[in-house]
Amino acid sequence: MGILSAGAAETPLVELRALTKSYPEGRGERVVFRDLSAGIRRGETVALLGRSGSGKSTLLNLIGGIDLPTAGEVLLDGTNLTRLSEQGRTLFRRRHIGLVFQSFNLIPTLTVMENLLLPLELNGRTGRPARTAALALLERVGLADRAKAYPDRLSGGEQQRVAVSRAVVHDPVLLLADEPTGSLDAGTGMRVLELLVGLARNERRTMVVVTHSDAVARATDRVLILRDGRLVDETFPGGAPA
Amino acid sequence: MILRLAGLRTLSRHPLQLVFGLVGVALGVAAVFSIDLANESARRAFRISSQTVAGKATHRIVGGPSGLEEALYATLRRHGFLRTIAPVVEGYARVPARPGITLHILGVDPFAEAPFRNYTPGTSAGADIPSLLTRPGTVLLLEDTAKRLGISPGDALPLRVGLETTHATLTGFLRPGDEVTRQALETTAVADISTAQELLGKVGRLSGIDLLIPGGAEGEEALSRIREILPPEAEILPAGARGSALEQMTRAFSLNLSALSLLALVVGMFLVYNTMTFSVLQRRQLVGTLRALGVTRGEVFVQILSEAAVLGAAGTVLGLPLGIFLGEFLLGMVTRSIGDLYFALSVREVSVTAATLFKAVGLGTFGAVAASLWPAHEATSTQPRDVMRRSAIETGVKKILPAISAAGAVLIFLGAGVQLVPSRSIPLSFGGLFSIVAGYALLAPGATTLLVRGIQPALAFAFGTQGTMAARSIPASISRTGVAAAALVVAVATTVGIGIMIDSFRRTVSDWLDHSLRSDIYVSPSRRT
Repeated sequence: MGILSAGAAETPLVELRALTKSYPEGRGERVVFRDLSAGIRRGETVALLGRSGSGKSTLLNLIGGIDLPTAGEVLLDGTNLTRLSEQGRTLFRRRHIGLVFQSFNLIPTLTVMENLLLPLELNGRTGRPARTAALALLERVGLADRAKAYPDRLSGGEQQRVAVSRAVVHDPVLLLADEPTGSLDAGTGMRVLELLVGLARNERRTMVVVTHSDAVARATDRVLILRDGRLVDETFPGGAPA
Repeated sequence: MILRLAGLRTLSRHPLQLVFGLVGVALGVAAVFSIDLANESARRAFRISSQTVAGKATHRIVGGPSGLEEALYATLRRHGFLRTIAPVVEGYARVPARPGITLHILGVDPFAEAPFRNYTPGTSAGADIPSLLTRPGTVLLLEDTAKRLGISPGDALPLRVGLETTHATLTGFLRPGDEVTRQALETTAVADISTAQELLGKVGRLSGIDLLIPGGAEGEEALSRIREILPPEAEILPAGARGSALEQMTRAFSLNLSALSLLALVVGMFLVYNTMTFSVLQRRQLVGTLRALGVTRGEVFVQILSEAAVLGAAGTVLGLPLGIFLGEFLLGMVTRSIGDLYFALSVREVSVTAATLFKAVGLGTFGAVAASLWPAHEATSTQPRDVMRRSAIETGVKKILPAISAAGAVLIFLGAGVQLVPSRSIPLSFGGLFSIVAGYALLAPGATTLLVRGIQPALAFAFGTQGTMAARSIPASISRTGVAAAALVVAVATTVGIGIMIDSFRRTVSDWLDHSLRSDIYVSPSRRT
């Protein structure tokens, strides 16, 4: 079963074709989802909503090339990730994808500034231009004064703002966020969400957010609901696109 | 750059772990370096000593165990095949007043010496010669040596040759022309031939006759004519042959020490392995994050190995001074052992050669990198999603545990097979021995897992849930506990093995003495001949 978004005539940035994912479990196997298809347009923000264990994070890992499907294909901007080598997927992720994790996952031994410089350096941007870009982004998220601080000196909300900045600093086409507000209180979570959605929409960046929060889902253009390994519903919080 | 910074800061954020790693490398390097220094210094001193004593001689006529009849020298002089020949009497005497000091007594003919050795008192040396020739028991020493022995010209020097006590008299000082010769003569007492014969109990005998043979046909002819009049037990050896023979005698001794030092390095590498495994385990989530951000396996692998190289280099820098310190201490023990077992040797200070330094630096740095290969491979060979899970590394190790154990068994059989092959090759025997040690080390994780499973019911019965948890935690973290067990196996096996070996030597000697010396009283000649 597949759900393709409205506006299917436009080539989607992300195409999921008949994805099946299963894991060996004991002597048998556990199927996370089977024959799942979907498409996500360029510049669209999409929420993957579902209960724990519904396969949301697994699907996000497949979209990001972190994991491979048991069957099916993942195409990102025309590149078939499932046909790339592990090295190829890693380099593709480095250049084109930004990741935000629930538990921030900042590098504890690097300062805020250095955490932002890491993706830039990995993409060959170093020196003063890289520092200027990182600082500009930190100013935008209100953390320029914490540039030299280590992550453990920051609050949870500040850490997640740094993580969001790190995810977009190298200007990726796709932003993937796994429960970005899951470790934050409601108020802080909403501020981080606004920042995340704002950074995506202002740059017409495609974003996929995994969440089990209706509030987070409502902030996106489209919500895909996963249940028992299937996409069972699709909603448009801001109204269906023309 | 940023990636390297992150790794290095990780090391500095865990100081205790860093110290363990550094200590592991430093101790390993210090052990290897110190033993190499002691061995190399002793060898170098021996070479200098041999060359200095041989002087410019190209050949030496030597006899059987009791040397040559001194009449042979007179015969050679009379025939006149060669003008440049010099008699030599050599032996060793202990100085009872200075335990540990053994003097090399070198008896020469001052009138025949000039073409051979530049430190012996030729006619130009003047004042010391008449007393050396005319006063019985007189010797020449270096001024420094005389000071160490606390004697001045004219003083008596009590000596012990074999079981006999005798006396020499210091009549003057040797005046070597250069520093190398001075070092070689630090424990040499030069005497007239007859004095040396009397002191060493070799009256009428010579240790050898030095020859200075010219090159070409003239030399060959002189050699063949000399050979014609030599007694059957005498032979002509090239000057370097004697040194090589003595050096070969000490080769096994040096090799034993080197093997033990390598064992110390292996134990040090176990410490580095544990440090790096801990470090990698601590950073699995970090590695997972980096991989998710687009850092490739190769980059993470190089990153971890770079850290190990830095750790190895830092440990090596710490280990080298410790090695020199230990080397100076060991040098005394090595030279004393060589003196007790083979011949007197004087080495006052360790000499650091480029080869020794290169070996220690290489072993420290590359050893640490080698010890980190497996943890680095483990951290990078799993998917980013698996790296996020702490248990992934243990799952990996458990999967290959049977293969590791099988490899251990193969190595033990190979090593045992090598030991059964009749061979006098020491390197081959050590190769077999190391194979057995490595085999046992590889068997240790599997054996530990089985053993702990076996005692788990008893622990559960004795300590309840805590006992069960304790028993399960060992196989659950076998990547670290297995290595610790392997390191312990190697360390305990080495200690027990060397203890048994020394005890066996002692017992064998004791049994041999008991069986051989059954009489109540033994009568022996007053001097060894």
